[in-house]
Amino acid sequence: MSTNIIAVKGNKKNKKSIAKQFRLQIYLQVFALMGIAYLIVFSYIPMFGIIIAFKNYKLTSGIMGFFTSEWVGLEYFKEFFTDINFRPIVRNTVVISVLKLIFTFPLPILFAIAINEVKNQKWKRLVQTVSYLPHFISWVVVSGIIFSFLNEQNGLINQILVLLNIREKGIPFLAEPKYFWGMLVISDVWKELGWWAIIFLAAIAGVDPTLYEAAVVDGAGRMRRIWHITLPSIKGTIIIVLILSLGNLFGGGLGGSNFDQCYLLGNPVNHSVSEILQTYSLKMGLAQGRYSFATAIGLLQSVISLVLIYSSNKTASKLSGVSLF
Amino acid sequence: MMKRTTEDIVIDVIVFIIMITVFIATVYPFYYCLVISFNEGIDASRGGIFLWPRKFTLENYKAVFSNEQLLSGFGVTIARTIIGTVLSLFFTGLFAYSLSHKNLLFKNIYITLMIIAMYFSGGLIPYFVLLKHLRLLNTFWVYIIPSLLSSFNAIIMMSFFREIPNELEESARIDGANDLTIFFRIIFPVSSPVFATVALFNGVGHWNNWFDAAFFVNNRKLKTAAFMLMELMN
Repeated sequence: MSTNIIAVKGNKKNKKSIAKQFRLQIYLQVFALMGIAYLIVFSYIPMFGIIIAFKNYKLTSGIMGFFTSEWVGLEYFKEFFTDINFRPIVRNTVVISVLKLIFTFPLPILFAIAINEVKNQKWKRLVQTVSYLPHFISWVVVSGIIFSFLNEQNGLINQILVLLNIREKGIPFLAEPKYFWGMLVISDVWKELGWWAIIFLAAIAGVDPTLYEAAVVDGAGRMRRIWHITLPSIKGTIIIVLILSLGNLFGGGLGGSNFDQCYLLGNPVNHSVSEILQTYSLKMGLAQGRYSFATAIGLLQSVISLVLIYSSNKTASKLSGVSLF
Repeated sequence: MMKRTTEDIVIDVIVFIIMITVFIATVYPFYYCLVISFNEGIDASRGGIFLWPRKFTLENYKAVFSNEQLLSGFGVTIARTIIGTVLSLFFTGLFAYSLSHKNLLFKNIYITLMIIAMYFSGGLIPYFVLLKHLRLLNTFWVYIIPSLLSSFNAIIMMSFFREIPNELEESARIDGANDLTIFFRIIFPVSSPVFATVALFNGVGHWNNWFDAAFFVNNRKLKTAAFMLMELMN
């Protein structure tokens, strides 16, 4: 990039010139190496730390304990598979994740297409701006809003139900397990709809306008233009986003919100439907000090995610030719 | 303009319904919270307030601003947001700046290391162990240091820096500037859009984060506002 840094290729004095080149770009190398050193400490050391899932790790043995503690093989995995909580936790994780994928993935596409059909520019921009604001709000605040809307005595929804004589008494949304999953899905859609629509809107903006003009000449109505031009044109983006959300399926899809929601909205009453792999791992690790066991649970989730992203990528590239890597 | 067909009208109506639903569903919860916050507390719990405060009061805000714990929480949150965002912006920026040079030695190794770190992590427990042994637990720096470098932001910045004309940097070098000066005096001013975007992502992340305050810090004086809010609700 600069005049005094000259790339040297196939030179006999290659070694010498590499050293010389390195000295010339010493500032840049220092910046890069600072970042790499940081990554080694904060990303790679914890990555090696995963081996404590196969070891009997004690917190007092420190980081070196990653290497020195005794091997126990798959003991902690076996323990988790025979844990009485194993089945409900896996069921909750899978059901919550799949439900969220079904709703939070297609709705932003629909919303983006709807926005694109609005003619009034001011109204269009207003709705779009408003719709992505919730993305910037913490799940802590969102759960506060959920409480004030769904509270049994004076929650807004219950007030309306009573006022309209639909119900005599409020519905205990927060205390009854059967409402929990629906609450998660709806709040996730509410928070992330507008944000993910931005990506699809960007893809729609890139569609060649002459395609629409040609379709109009051929007599295609708006519905057919959406179906035969807009949707096929953003197919690539849809597939990429789908692969990404499948890769983080157990983290909660696009927003990665499973942990925040289940931890913040979970309580002893809905425990049976709100406990997921992540919250259980946290509880076992940080609250009970069973570090190796908790790491094993975390590792299990990572491995499943890795398999999912790899296989969905492979399937997508076979079926449609679009892939992430 | 062509004549509007039935289809056009149907689509316009459906689109309008979707738009107005999203608009109300997004705006009203915030508006409702605002209205309740200006209403007297016991009166609000009786319900029936939808559009306007019934017994207007500023007591709730007075209570917030006289609660020392909450105020200290806000202080910590503001401090971590500003310090964390500024430091992360420059640390990530310098990293991205060096990697945006085509002829940086070992560039591919650095980028590969960065991408692997972006996709894989050790999970919570090994991370916790690391923080403990770096003696970061229970300090203010546990909010700042672990989020100094973000690979995702680095990639966004790199792609922006690559578009900056080389001549800018070359002329500064001829005038005797080193890379640090070039970064602060040339790259930073001409890349303000990307710095602003990354600062926004970063700042929002810091402002909203409750997790580290809940699990990595015990000292009440170091708890953040988001954490206090979470405690209030439980």
